[in-house]
Amino acid sequence: MAEEPETMLQLPSTPAAGGEGLTDVSPETATPEPPSSAAVSPGTEEPSGDTKKKIDILLKAVGDTPIMKTKKWAVERTRTIQGLIDFIKKFLKLVASEQLFIYVNQSFAPSPDQEVGTLYECFGSDGKLVLHYCKSQAWG
Amino acid sequence: MEEDEFFGEKTFQHHCSEFIKHSQQIGDGWEWKSSKDCSDGYMCKTHFQIKSGTVVSNPGIYNGVQTCLPVEEVLEVPLDDFEVTQTAMASEVIKYEYHVLYSSSYQVPVLYFRASFLDGRPLALKDIWEGVHECYQTRLLQGPWDTITQQEHPILGQPFFVLHPCKTNEFMTPILKNAQKINRNINYITSWLSIVGPVVGLNLPLSYGKATSQDEVHC
Repeated sequence: MAEEPETMLQLPSTPAAGGEGLTDVSPETATPEPPSSAAVSPGTEEPSGDTKKKIDILLKAVGDTPIMKTKKWAVERTRTIQGLIDFIKKFLKLVASEQLFIYVNQSFAPSPDQEVGTLYECFGSDGKLVLHYCKSQAWG
Repeated sequence: MEEDEFFGEKTFQHHCSEFIKHSQQIGDGWEWKSSKDCSDGYMCKTHFQIKSGTVVSNPGIYNGVQTCLPVEEVLEVPLDDFEVTQTAMASEVIKYEYHVLYSSSYQVPVLYFRASFLDGRPLALKDIWEGVHECYQTRLLQGPWDTITQQEHPILGQPFFVLHPCKTNEFMTPILKNAQKINRNINYITSWLSIVGPVVGLNLPLSYGKATSQDEVHC
């Protein structure tokens, strides 16, 4: 999965067409994908996992952590927490020795290998996954 | 509610007990062990992993990366699809032990851990460091002894590796403050272990993250 942080930073609010990695979500240009013939999960308005390749993530800062100018992102399901951490660290220009933690449910840090698609299935609501992030000098 | 300012031993034991309840629901293997006089105790878990890559027959496939596979995964892989079967089967089973104790000097929980081969040979710290997730390696490489030290287990009296607790308050405080702000009761042990665990190869199943907010668990 190619990371293109430089492209992300140059992007205005226009989402990039078909880029890997994160694209900015603008309400007026976001196009919902047509539902596939696969079974729709009961109890949700979302099409089943296979049809939607990206999920919507809302990033919220905790504590003294700098707030990201862009909070809403469309992220590929297979992006890992670690990938997201690296992206946010670059975006916020944190130094390598600063740790960044990401939480679901405002209390639980998923392991770095966890895919955001899985997190969305477990913790997502209202069509998005809310993730809190916090920087820290955690060790030593 | 005194948890916000003071994480005392009783609070520690209470949160461990809640944590273990969920562990029992999902079969995650955590148990509570009391010291001989029952005045204190700790939470512990043992798991086994196959560490492959120690004998590399196909360097190109491994690219120098060590893969730790849980025992179940290795057994399920079809033989003809898995080119390095010979290597995996020649590798060793490693026993990991994780203990969660309370530190009265820091007033926080502390993670003790050790790893050994089945014949009892302990894993060296170097091997443990290599098992640390790459996202933590940068920080560890800058000052490994600041992060993982070797100490005597306060109850068992045996040498264990310890993830140093002096920064625990620093990364736990924002979570606790936030929880207080939204009037949410969180389990300190769950939150803390979800953060420190992956540093030493301990990953908590996602259902722990839901356990505090509702009883139903579906992930």
